[in-house]
Amino acid sequence: MTQPTRRDTLRHALGGAAVLGLMDRALIGPASAQAAPRRGGTLVYAQCSGNRRGGDASNTRHPYFMIDLITRSAYNTLTWVDEGLKVVPELATKLEPASDKLDVWDVTVREGVLFHDGREVTAKDWAASFELHRRRNFASQQIKSTEVTGKYGLRFFLDAGNSEFPYVLAEYDNVVMPADDWEKIGMTGVGTGPFKIVSADPQRRMVFERNENYWRKDQPYLDRLEVVNREGQMESAINGFRARQFDAVLNIDPRLVRQLQGEADTDVVPATSGDQAVIILPKHPGSPFLDVRIRRALAYAIDREALQRIVYGGSRWGWIGNDSHMAGTDPMFVARPVGRDLAKAKALLAEAGFPNGITLPTLYYAPQWPEMGRYFQVIQETVKEAGITLSIEERPNDGYLKFRQGDADVAKGNYHKFAYTAVGPRNPGISLFRMRGANNESGYWSGPGHDRYMELYRKAMVTPDAGQRKTIYAEMQGICYDEAPAILPAGRNNILIKRPTVMGLKNHPQHWSVTWDGVWKA
Amino acid sequence: MLSAVLRRVFLSLLTLFFLAAFIFAATEILPGDALDVTLSADEMAMMPPERLAEMKRDLGLDRPAVERLGAFLLGVAQLDFGRTIISRAPVVDIVAYPLRNSLLLAGAVIVTALPLALILGVSAARWYRRPLDNVVSTGVIVGYSVPEFVIGTFLVMLFAVTWPLFPATITASTRDPALTLLAAAPLPVATILIGSIAYLARILRVGMVDALASDFVERLRLMGVPEWRVLLLHALPAAVVPSLMATALYAAALVSGIVVVELVFAYPGLGQELVRAVTRREVHVIQAIALASAAIVVVFNLLADLAILALDPRTRM
Repeated sequence: MTQPTRRDTLRHALGGAAVLGLMDRALIGPASAQAAPRRGGTLVYAQCSGNRRGGDASNTRHPYFMIDLITRSAYNTLTWVDEGLKVVPELATKLEPASDKLDVWDVTVREGVLFHDGREVTAKDWAASFELHRRRNFASQQIKSTEVTGKYGLRFFLDAGNSEFPYVLAEYDNVVMPADDWEKIGMTGVGTGPFKIVSADPQRRMVFERNENYWRKDQPYLDRLEVVNREGQMESAINGFRARQFDAVLNIDPRLVRQLQGEADTDVVPATSGDQAVIILPKHPGSPFLDVRIRRALAYAIDREALQRIVYGGSRWGWIGNDSHMAGTDPMFVARPVGRDLAKAKALLAEAGFPNGITLPTLYYAPQWPEMGRYFQVIQETVKEAGITLSIEERPNDGYLKFRQGDADVAKGNYHKFAYTAVGPRNPGISLFRMRGANNESGYWSGPGHDRYMELYRKAMVTPDAGQRKTIYAEMQGICYDEAPAILPAGRNNILIKRPTVMGLKNHPQHWSVTWDGVWKA
Repeated sequence: MLSAVLRRVFLSLLTLFFLAAFIFAATEILPGDALDVTLSADEMAMMPPERLAEMKRDLGLDRPAVERLGAFLLGVAQLDFGRTIISRAPVVDIVAYPLRNSLLLAGAVIVTALPLALILGVSAARWYRRPLDNVVSTGVIVGYSVPEFVIGTFLVMLFAVTWPLFPATITASTRDPALTLLAAAPLPVATILIGSIAYLARILRVGMVDALASDFVERLRLMGVPEWRVLLLHALPAAVVPSLMATALYAAALVSGIVVVELVFAYPGLGQELVRAVTRREVHVIQAIALASAAIVVVFNLLADLAILALDPRTRM
């Protein structure tokens, strides 16, 4: 058998995308295909989905604490995931595995990129930045260390092989910041992105101005960019749009689409996919979800079609999940073989010792998306028919993460909660890794099913061929269907509205991956 | 006069002391402590008692209530309300600017509402039971009865969406200069103004009607004093004195009572911060806002008392 070359491996690892061939075009050419973009002007947008890390943050210049997750306004990463969920380079000019095990990766970073303060970006800045990311970013914790191999050369050492590592580098946290200790890095708000931060009011508003030295020639087109947080204030955002205060509103409630489609000067721009809800089923001592039959009963009882229809307004704006973290539009997604089945749900409950139905603990959720209240009301109502009584409680976004995760040490008794969290569409490698037993989102799942799942995951990560990985991923999704470690019933397609005069603005399934580089006002 | 002033100042401070103690008791002692309101029922049910005790110890809740009250009052005296439970941020930092912004909004409303209410109230009383009085009285009832969120939405539809003259939603930052905030807030001001004018005009009208029907006004008229002098120099001061206290309390209530308007327009004031604190179960922020609101009522009350002392010699006895 012929050993694949590094370049072949990379191509396969990226699902066949000819990343190296795309490098020049993506790096040199403008991102927008619009004819004759116009320079200048201010664009103000309202964001209906905030950054849950905000809390009482007093420094929202740090990329981890900006008002929204669109860190690319002020920062850049090594790669970017495009609107079709394909990875393309951003500040990397070369990216390839340095070992056949795919656990060492070499990156050449782009030369001549300047920070907002005028300093040139080198590999040392990247290495320092990843000292923070590998400690704090959920997808980067597999990075054991980095090594500067030259002024523009960087090597990543992973704890195991990862055929989809370029996707990890595209995560919105993984930006480059001027080198500093990992505990202090990023506090100044200096990045390399198309805009420089002018002012930041925590959880309320950020103002950016054009970065004249941006590495993408002639971009950005706008002189000024403003983001206003209208999380939980949908009406205020729409009023501001109608009153022409906002040029765009991102992540609106899908149920408003019908109304907004008929309005003058309003473009409704959907993405092909978006976040889905994860219902975490805790498996701490005393939890009913230790019993797989109860987990499966709940999975069968939820009316996913009703969620799609009532919460999202149909298949154009929402999609049905398969209890894995995979997005419905992913070519490797496998739909659940059986939909809602009340008889099966009741039989499973009876088998588990609850022939007359069961009362579950309170299900907590935070209104991270405008429609979440409605979402859980539909779940509450539809599971009743299977004899499942479910009380729901809304908690504020601030502090929610800490609240739902509790203490990792179960001896403290502050257990992780039966609760909702949102998850965005990513490549299968990252998505399926989220169901690992060590992650809160799986409710700390364990057992033979979990062990088989992780064995398959490790196999997929060192399998360069995308076709072979697809088979492995299908089996992993089958395990999620059988074991229901968590429930992911349905997801949204992200929707933004904008004025027709706003050109080059594309919506993105990853709400954090929208870019403003090629946006201009006619 | 001096002793009367000192007496009122002392009573105000005493009231503040009791209010602070009451707020502490209401939020931290009865029916449970700060931990009880922060944790969910499930958490309380599942958490081992020793872990709960440890958390109480961390928050200082294991100390006797009197000792905690003493520490709280001492902190209040130094404007130190502690730190937030979630992020350990100083409460004063969180509350200071929203408080300033709410005072600004309330101040703008009162400064605009008072002269307009005065003109309407005096005119209605001057032409008592005549067409003008009927129009003013009807308008006052309507203005006072329609909820502020209805007025606000109506004004947004009219002056921001149909005719885009003013901002529909406030995008200014919490720490922006006062003038920047006020320039962005004509619609919130107008929304509160309608109800305020209605309330104040009604009080002034009643006071003026009483004053104009009194013996001393009749005597002045018999003496041939011109009607405008009777109205403005004699009847008006007599009508204003009893209205002062109601006006002061109304102005104080505005500062913390305009939650709905702040939410409709996303105004970065105390009301919005209070709603946020309640949903996050941030007891210390709630305490600070409650105490600030109470202090404003006490201060406005004191100012009204002092004004009455100055205007009405009979009260100095």
